[in-house]
Amino acid sequence: MALLSGKNGAHRLGPMQTLPGPMRTWSDNEPVDYCIVGVGSAGGVLLQRLARAGFSVVGLEAGPFWDTEKDWVSDEKGSHELYWNDLRITGGTHPLALGANNSGKGVGGGSVHWAAFTPRFHPSDFRVYTEDGVGADWPLSYWDLKPWYELLEREIPVAGPAWFPWGDPHGHPYGPHPLGGVGDVLVRGCSKLGIRTVAGGPVAILSASHGDRPHCIYRGFCLQGCKVGAKASTLITHVPDAIVHGAEIRAHAMAARINLRNDGRVDGVVYFDCDGKEHFQRARAVIVSGYAIETPRLLFNSACPGHSHGLANSSGTLGKYLMAQAGNVVAGRFGDLIRLYKAPPAHALSEEFYETDPQRGFARGFAIQTVGPLPIAFAKQMVAAMGAWGWGMRRVMMDYNHWATLGVLGEILPWEDNRVELADEKDRHGLPVAKVTFNLHDNDKKLIEFGKNKVMEVMWAAGAQQVVQESRFAHLVGASRMGKDPSTSVVDKFGRTHDIPNLFVCDGSIFPTQGSANPGLTIQALAARTADYLIGQGDAIFFSSRRDQQEPQIRYDLSPPFTRFKGNPRIA
Amino acid sequence: MSKRSLPTLATGGEIRDLRQPGYYPRYSTLGQKKAWDETTRHVVTGRVGDTPPVRFFSREEAEVLQAIIDHVLPQDDRSEERTIPILPVIDERLFKNELNGFRYEDMPPDRDAYRLANKAIDVMARERFDASFPALTVHRQELILKSLHDGEPDPAHPIWKTMPVHRFWALLMEDCVTAYYAHPWAWDEIGFGGPAYPRGYMRLENGLPEPWETEEERYEWNAPVDSLSEIEPEGAPPEHGSLHGHGGTH
Repeated sequence: MALLSGKNGAHRLGPMQTLPGPMRTWSDNEPVDYCIVGVGSAGGVLLQRLARAGFSVVGLEAGPFWDTEKDWVSDEKGSHELYWNDLRITGGTHPLALGANNSGKGVGGGSVHWAAFTPRFHPSDFRVYTEDGVGADWPLSYWDLKPWYELLEREIPVAGPAWFPWGDPHGHPYGPHPLGGVGDVLVRGCSKLGIRTVAGGPVAILSASHGDRPHCIYRGFCLQGCKVGAKASTLITHVPDAIVHGAEIRAHAMAARINLRNDGRVDGVVYFDCDGKEHFQRARAVIVSGYAIETPRLLFNSACPGHSHGLANSSGTLGKYLMAQAGNVVAGRFGDLIRLYKAPPAHALSEEFYETDPQRGFARGFAIQTVGPLPIAFAKQMVAAMGAWGWGMRRVMMDYNHWATLGVLGEILPWEDNRVELADEKDRHGLPVAKVTFNLHDNDKKLIEFGKNKVMEVMWAAGAQQVVQESRFAHLVGASRMGKDPSTSVVDKFGRTHDIPNLFVCDGSIFPTQGSANPGLTIQALAARTADYLIGQGDAIFFSSRRDQQEPQIRYDLSPPFTRFKGNPRIA
Repeated sequence: MSKRSLPTLATGGEIRDLRQPGYYPRYSTLGQKKAWDETTRHVVTGRVGDTPPVRFFSREEAEVLQAIIDHVLPQDDRSEERTIPILPVIDERLFKNELNGFRYEDMPPDRDAYRLANKAIDVMARERFDASFPALTVHRQELILKSLHDGEPDPAHPIWKTMPVHRFWALLMEDCVTAYYAHPWAWDEIGFGGPAYPRGYMRLENGLPEPWETEEERYEWNAPVDSLSEIEPEGAPPEHGSLHGHGGTH
């Protein structure tokens, strides 16, 4: 594999951390225990846990292995390469923007460019069908996942208020960040309307240094990859420890298909390296962690006799029930200066409207969060929100520093017709690309209308002189959903496919519903739980078809360094 | 650069060649480049120094597109030597066929979209005003562009039956604002702090400037009277069907 160290010395992960080396490597012919496709939020955590537990693991990552000093810039346009820019087709009545909007590429995946809000899901999110008669229930409860939420909050570690009042109230290991101008608008507007808020988190951004990672410098370029190393990505939180413990990560390795043996078990992954050369990595088990579009795409592209509609798709639900959250951005112009580019975009929120309120006339709810578009993103918003062009665009942009922006983060329910399929177009390896179809349904439309109007009301209450809004969507989950019933879901509660005993999916695509919380923390918590399950099962995964559904023991001894002695406060 | 706008007759100041338009007259992000990290400095200064050659569009196509760009993102208030290159940046993206990660199912590939729209706009100009688009007066050019902006191409052209006009408009606008607002001279114009690593910011609240930023100094100005591109007072247009935001914000 390519050298990890650049010509000027070490491979940097932030200003203080270097990638440990040399990295252990396996040849294609040596079967490893686990081959993990995609080293993002879930893949990074899985690799780290499994390597620490002594398994041989190889991670295939389609994108680069970032050196944060050489590859990343404090610049919007210059950060284009962080995203999955390859062709995908998008359609339906409300087509999703992909690329920079929601899709990462490279080690760390989406956690490289997330805004890093890390709210937990609420207990109700796991029982949406039971409580509201819509969507689906999760095959596990909030309380099953809670220990891993707490553990990942310490590993990241999450900064935020000591008291977070919604869902299962909890505190955060690191103190909250200082308030920026946009957060001030959110708190001011909500307070006028009697809406509770929290500020300074919860975010996966350090408010104090942590091991070899410095604290935040409030430069506002979170979405462009944090050169500071203050914002958590699995690239800097879990991948270094995975490599120390013997994991191999192959960058620029694009998975083409998973190979199924005659006995109904998979035995490895076919992939293309950076030169377009085909390889086959043998593995005793395969975990797909490619996120909500590439995961179903790989399983569809792995179709073979007996699985002609895609691997692990006997239910016919693969690719279906794709979800994005409503992400309307409400922009308000103020007489005073705001300078919204300062401070992390993610730093204050309210979950006061998260739960179902029958009086509103729709199921589920939404969160209100700060967002902090830099000039290019803000100008694009003005195209959509105001129809700005020409001199109008120049004029509104000259007032960039007078605007504040708040986001709706609204729960869109899982619908069968929102889906990922294969398109006719092919990528440079000849692999069919994904086609994504997205339609809003009645409940979604009512929720968005209500949420949008509520956030506009907050903006007026904060003192804005002009308020406009842009419709958009945020995040992607679902499309390989988990469930108890093999006829209506793709994987079980540990991410094991119902059809193939040594094939797993672990990423946002297994979510049955999505709440109004940003998905990153939940993806990582689920990955750590799945890892503990796999470790507990030992070699049985590689030989047996027995499906143990007992909850795993959490392993507190497998965390990355610097996790010990951190705690989850609870101030009642 | 089109300089054919009529002098303004409205109440504010007349637009004129300025080294730096905007409300932060002595502010320079590039003046801070010593405080930036090396990789960022290289990328941003390269954007100022090296304008890529036009390789994708033909000379005729480039002439039409330049006339379009002069109105969708006008720079008549910028002096010649401080004009921000837009056409070369779009041309480079298309020449290298760099994608943004998706294509709408009802849209042709970006390269085709530009070629088809360019041609259609020139045909519309000849049909409505009997001259090529670049040869029209500012007002007539903007009448045609405004009809595209409004989603009601006038005159109608068959290409807009197969390519949704609002999607092409969004594509064009996004490419133009990406080129313009990626440029440090545009950051100076709007008072954006620019790159901020490793130094960071220390004054987060109340819109206060860093010691190296400057206070706002507002002035009134008018767009040329023959222009149609000011934001309409009644506010935002109705949502263009399924046009949604493309920027990643949360």
